[in-house]
Amino acid sequence: MSETTKNIGLFALVACLFVLTGFMQSWNASLTILNMALISAIMALGVNLQWGFAGLFNVGVMGFVALGGLATVLIGAKPVEGAWSAGGFQILLALVLGAATVVAAILAYAKLTKGRMRNIGVVAILLVGFFIYRGVFDPGVAAVEAINPATNGNLGGLNWLAAARDSDVRSADLFVLLAWPVGGLLAAGAAWIIGKTALGLRSDYLAIATLGIAEIIIAIMKNEDWLARGVKNVSGLPRPVPYEVTLQDSASFVERANALGLDATTASTLWVKTLYAGLFAVVLILMLIMAQAALKSPWGRMMRAIRDNEVAAQAMGKDVTKRHLQIFILGSAICGIAGAMMTTLDGQLTPGTYQPLRFTFLIWLMVIVGGSGNNFGAVLGGFLIYFLWIQVEPMGAWLIDVLTSGLADGNPVKEHLKDGVAYMRLMTMGIVLLLVLRFSPRGLIPEK
Amino acid sequence: MDFLNALVVLSNFVLIPAVAYGSQLALGALGVTLIYGILRFSNFAHGDTMAFGTMLVVLITYLFQSWGISLGPLPTALLALPFGILGCMLLVLFTDRAVYRFYRQQKAKPVVLVIVSMGVMFIMNGLVRFIIGPNDQRFADGERFIISVREFKQLTGLSEGLAIRTTQGITVVTAIIVVALLFWFLNRTRTGKSMRAYSDNEDLALLSGINPERVVLYTWLIVAALATVAGTLYGLDKTFKPFTYFQLLLPIFAAAIVGGLGNPLGAIAGGFVIAFSEVTITYAWKKVLKYLLPENLEPSSLMQLISTDYKFAVSFAILVIVLLFKPTGLFKGKSV
Amino acid sequence: MTNNPYQDDRGNKDATITKPGTGTVVEATGTDHAMSTENAFLIGDSMTGGYGKSGPDILHDCTIAVNKGEIAVIVGPNGAGKSTAMKATFGMLHLRQGSVRLDGRDITDLTPQARVAAGMGFVPQTSNIFTSMTVEENLEMGAFIRKDDFRDTIAQIYDLFPILKEKRNQAAGELSGGQRQQVAVGRALMTQPKVLLLDEPTAGVSPIVMDELFDRIIEVARTGISILMVEQNARQALEIADKGYVLVTGRNAHTGTGKDLLADPEVRQSFLGG
Repeated sequence: MSETTKNIGLFALVACLFVLTGFMQSWNASLTILNMALISAIMALGVNLQWGFAGLFNVGVMGFVALGGLATVLIGAKPVEGAWSAGGFQILLALVLGAATVVAAILAYAKLTKGRMRNIGVVAILLVGFFIYRGVFDPGVAAVEAINPATNGNLGGLNWLAAARDSDVRSADLFVLLAWPVGGLLAAGAAWIIGKTALGLRSDYLAIATLGIAEIIIAIMKNEDWLARGVKNVSGLPRPVPYEVTLQDSASFVERANALGLDATTASTLWVKTLYAGLFAVVLILMLIMAQAALKSPWGRMMRAIRDNEVAAQAMGKDVTKRHLQIFILGSAICGIAGAMMTTLDGQLTPGTYQPLRFTFLIWLMVIVGGSGNNFGAVLGGFLIYFLWIQVEPMGAWLIDVLTSGLADGNPVKEHLKDGVAYMRLMTMGIVLLLVLRFSPRGLIPEK
Repeated sequence: MDFLNALVVLSNFVLIPAVAYGSQLALGALGVTLIYGILRFSNFAHGDTMAFGTMLVVLITYLFQSWGISLGPLPTALLALPFGILGCMLLVLFTDRAVYRFYRQQKAKPVVLVIVSMGVMFIMNGLVRFIIGPNDQRFADGERFIISVREFKQLTGLSEGLAIRTTQGITVVTAIIVVALLFWFLNRTRTGKSMRAYSDNEDLALLSGINPERVVLYTWLIVAALATVAGTLYGLDKTFKPFTYFQLLLPIFAAAIVGGLGNPLGAIAGGFVIAFSEVTITYAWKKVLKYLLPENLEPSSLMQLISTDYKFAVSFAILVIVLLFKPTGLFKGKSV
Repeated sequence: MTNNPYQDDRGNKDATITKPGTGTVVEATGTDHAMSTENAFLIGDSMTGGYGKSGPDILHDCTIAVNKGEIAVIVGPNGAGKSTAMKATFGMLHLRQGSVRLDGRDITDLTPQARVAAGMGFVPQTSNIFTSMTVEENLEMGAFIRKDDFRDTIAQIYDLFPILKEKRNQAAGELSGGQRQQVAVGRALMTQPKVLLLDEPTAGVSPIVMDELFDRIIEVARTGISILMVEQNARQALEIADKGYVLVTGRNAHTGTGKDLLADPEVRQSFLGG
């Protein structure tokens, strides 16, 4: 069996899983999983770019994904009336002042001669800057958060088109698609800051840096209510596809659904999900084509040369740190785009749901299981692992039902096992990772 | 008098909590640093190892409580602790046998082991939640305070009170005992020295006849004990919740790295550095300043530099600053 | 990329998660066939082999031997396989042909650790001390396999290297280059070996220190310990050598007493700079 047939077979097998879900559970369920699997595959591509091509250990995927989600709110949501004039610009000014303080401190450190005076100077700049920042920032935040706190209290987004529209008509809004590249940019910006500090040091500290920054990004999103309402969540984000209710009201749609033998409700949910799947698939295929092109380009060859022998690459005059920074930013941007897509799909931003196990380590699992260094492997891993992540729970529940069928209902052992089913997927994921690492350490589709 | 009051407030809200938290972090960081020193990788499963050991302690504590066994004023958990440690040791040894040993035989690169530890993390994470559930468990019992605010006020006549909780006292005492034992073991015993030698120079240790498997075995045993003790102390002081333990990974890593990875002394120093900076920067200083500043200068705001929600940001910022100026950590790292 | 997927770290050097310095000792796996033995103290007899089962041969029918209480020196140009030849006698090379015998016993298939137990001591060229441990702890670790009381051995080593006694509670990593070499030799002597292998003991030390080290090495040999040594400083080394081996591309080029080799015009011409 040639390599290509094996790989096609693997993809076919995963496709079968989705088809099987369609027949056994429902097509709605299957499409729901597929949509998130498509997004996961894009995230896996991003991580694979970093780990597979460059050996960079990014354990802050969650942070970049969340930044993408934030972009969806900042771009796609309706602007909150009066928020900008009340305090928005003041907050912006405060952030600029804060950044200026940091820059001034760095400049002072670089320019002044070494000694106690420099230390005192730097600390003084930071302290004074901090209090000025807080002095400007706090009132601005208070003003923004005072605006209609029950539903808003945040800056809102830049979607003036949606604001101008009649809010009762629920129609597709393609403006929100703009949030996807912006999510990528936001993540890239964060990656640039992290990479600049963590990759420049003598030996890199990327792992701990990304681990930390991801937690900080989540903390900011949870607590800065003016930004995206924090844990109060932003919901009702516009979407790029039609709403189900609108479809159900459309006579032509109902007619076509009936012709296919479907009732209007089911047909509308299926159609919306299919549209999403189409959008996501387009993005995934674009990314995949670009990643493949990058892999085969001189740039990609250089990346791998650096990975396999950094000393030799350095000796040949390659700026390793700069290349690493490039690829780190690129990979993080892809995760940001995927994060924006995910929030668009959900229609809401819920910072409380970002957990490292789900959004960092699960993505890693996809890359490792699929095959690090192989784009198709990462995509396959994305599909397979996300499918398992969702389906292990019902499978586990069924298994426990079978195993405990001899026990009476209400038996404490049975009840406990049933309660624990939700956590079986964590164990299963761990076991899958360990098995793959042990018996097929290069993953399902190894790097060529 | 004002100065004394300020000092009492400071101790009550900053010094004592930070010392307790610092001890817990230090014990956790010691485990991470030992694994890093000897097995040469950062163990992402350490937080969950702590959670597993603590879970055992919690369950055994509940069992003892149902039997009516207690330690009087001390928490029953102290009685359960040895059993928890034993159970955690068994799990960790089983993991080493079933998972890690294979990669040692393959002479796998450490980063492969890091990824392996992610898998172990998933399994332990699921295991703990499967057994005890994801919710908060309060298992501290016995006397709540060594000294309460009211007692302190009566004793000293000051207007501010100072409370020392039993769990804080126990944390510090236990931490001192455990650290003393560990350093005695590493510096005075033949096995301990062989562990340091192996960490320092694997090849030379091998040529000196030190058996790597034995060194690794002892390391896991010590790490299991440290993780269980650290986790139990943290759980007694606050509560036991699996997710919190997973999140402790960041401050623990930060502590170990700030101190200098692989250096036990550094892990302890790092633990306190992180704990003190977290607590002081997120503390509202108004109450202390009220006593120290003349009346007309009294601050109107809370004087809190950063909200407590950003305590991770603090440990992280400290970490970055230390790494920028001392890339090997406060104490020279990479040597147990 | 290596062939072993477990050894592929993709060039990751993230010090927060992984610690550099994984063991690099690869144990030799033996020749897979029986050896004939004859009488000799330590002899690497007609050795042919390379690193790993599939690696190219570095040694070709190379023989190195040392008699009891004598000093044998391996010299030769760069890349001649000098260190490799010595490592081969210590079980760190995969031999396809030839055998290694210690005091008449065939040790070809023993691991390096087993050879230490059998009476060999090895001082690697680099990282040959535990830098973070004190001098005394270094010596203690050298005696790790000994179950008896080794305090008198430590005393002997302090007699041999008095500076070490002075610095016994100092971390070995803080010592000067020459002192570190003394610690390294002292550590290897702790097992009371019958043969001591030294891989370029004078690399990177000043000429004065080098002379002192050679004096110490002669003293060690006088106690009845055989010494096999690889040296860059060929002339000085051959002066103290009872026997010298000149290797070229993994083969014996010239063999003889130190004096003979120093006098040999061909050896002088090609290796000693005239």
